[in-house]
Amino acid sequence: MTLPPPREVLAGDKVLRINWLPGSDRLRGRCHCGAEAEGEDPIEMWEWLLAHPNHPEGGPDVPPVPDVLPPPPAHRVTDPSIIRSRIPVLV
Amino acid sequence: MTSIVQNQWYVAAYGREIGRELFSRTICGESILFWRTEAGEVTAMSDRCVHRRFPLSQAPSHLDGDTVVCGYHGFTYGADGKCVAVPGQTRVPRTARLKSYPVVEQDTLVWIFIGDADKADATRIPRAPWLDQEGWTTVSGMEPLAARASLLVDNLMDLSHETYLHGGYIGTPEVAETPITTEVDEEAGIVYVSRHMADAECPPFYAKSTGIEGRITRWQDIEFAPPCLYKLHSRVAPVGVLPNEDGTDPHAFHVEVNYAITPETENSTHDFWMVSRDFALDDEAVTDFLRESNRTVVLQDVTALDVLEQVIAGEPDGYQELSINIDTGALAARRIIARLAAEASGAAAEQAAATAR
Repeated sequence: MTLPPPREVLAGDKVLRINWLPGSDRLRGRCHCGAEAEGEDPIEMWEWLLAHPNHPEGGPDVPPVPDVLPPPPAHRVTDPSIIRSRIPVLV
Repeated sequence: MTSIVQNQWYVAAYGREIGRELFSRTICGESILFWRTEAGEVTAMSDRCVHRRFPLSQAPSHLDGDTVVCGYHGFTYGADGKCVAVPGQTRVPRTARLKSYPVVEQDTLVWIFIGDADKADATRIPRAPWLDQEGWTTVSGMEPLAARASLLVDNLMDLSHETYLHGGYIGTPEVAETPITTEVDEEAGIVYVSRHMADAECPPFYAKSTGIEGRITRWQDIEFAPPCLYKLHSRVAPVGVLPNEDGTDPHAFHVEVNYAITPETENSTHDFWMVSRDFALDDEAVTDFLRESNRTVVLQDVTALDVLEQVIAGEPDGYQELSINIDTGALAARRIIARLAAEASGAAAEQAAATAR
């Protein structure tokens, strides 16, 4: 069974909407001015919507992903008390 | 730079917590004394005597009619925070006054305004009428969270975590699997996140409280009025049962799960939780079950967020996060909170400049 699309609830004049398109990983953003765009990154989509009234042509930016990824960074810990508290106690 | 948003209303307490005993709670880094006048009005003021800083909530400080008497040297304050008597002399110094806070008691909650009291507009306080309404039964509590408020906002705005952190209570696979829609009212400052599951497993939280056997249609509609009041409008019904076209919904079970997210300090939070239902109103077994279950769920979050606070506090600033579709609502909430904070700090800067002139 398929439910109808979730209703639009907020009734203000300045409502921004992002719908996650069912069955996909894509987001569709719609500004209160009627501008619409699709994308795959919620941060970029909010940036695009909040640029009203100057929504960039072509939709939200796509964060560049290099062909070869750099190695993931280490998780650095700076607080000595935390470092100590996370080391297992040997008995 | 504080992360606590000023010039906002926050839930300070449940009304039932404040009576004719002196009550103290730290809200947004400010130590505040609460008590009720003989007429029943809640009053809030600094919990430190201006004389030698003795806490007015500390025995033998006490109420005397509609005044509070410091237990150290007897400085006596009225309900407006002004000192009305000092020991041994008739002249009360003009500077003998406590900071007094705007307070509103509404929907069983005590709201307090933190910031510039001139900006306290009580009509801006979000409502949760079911907390104090015929036809609803509510259980509630408060858990101390040793983590910054923003971590609880992130947690509550993305309920896909229910599947993993709260499996066996409120989480089922469908929660994390179902896409959300997100709306933001820029003017009203509201974030609304909707997740409608057409055909989902019924988690024990709802199976045991409603008596539904089998699969359900489950709707989760989050309405967050940053920075404090979070409302989850939860609708549960046997699979396929939808509201009538006229909006009535007699065959569904409705649960309002509300949180008030009130910073205690920069790195600790009062996690107020409330669960209101429109069914089995007088069934004590359901009441007890929902109270225990929700508290268990809240404590699962508290445990996780306390650990996360330690991680964040112990790492360098600027650590790179990763956000995906499930985070759309939480990102919206963060933006509104950042905007509110910027507006409040801008207003504070303007006021300082005006004072300097």
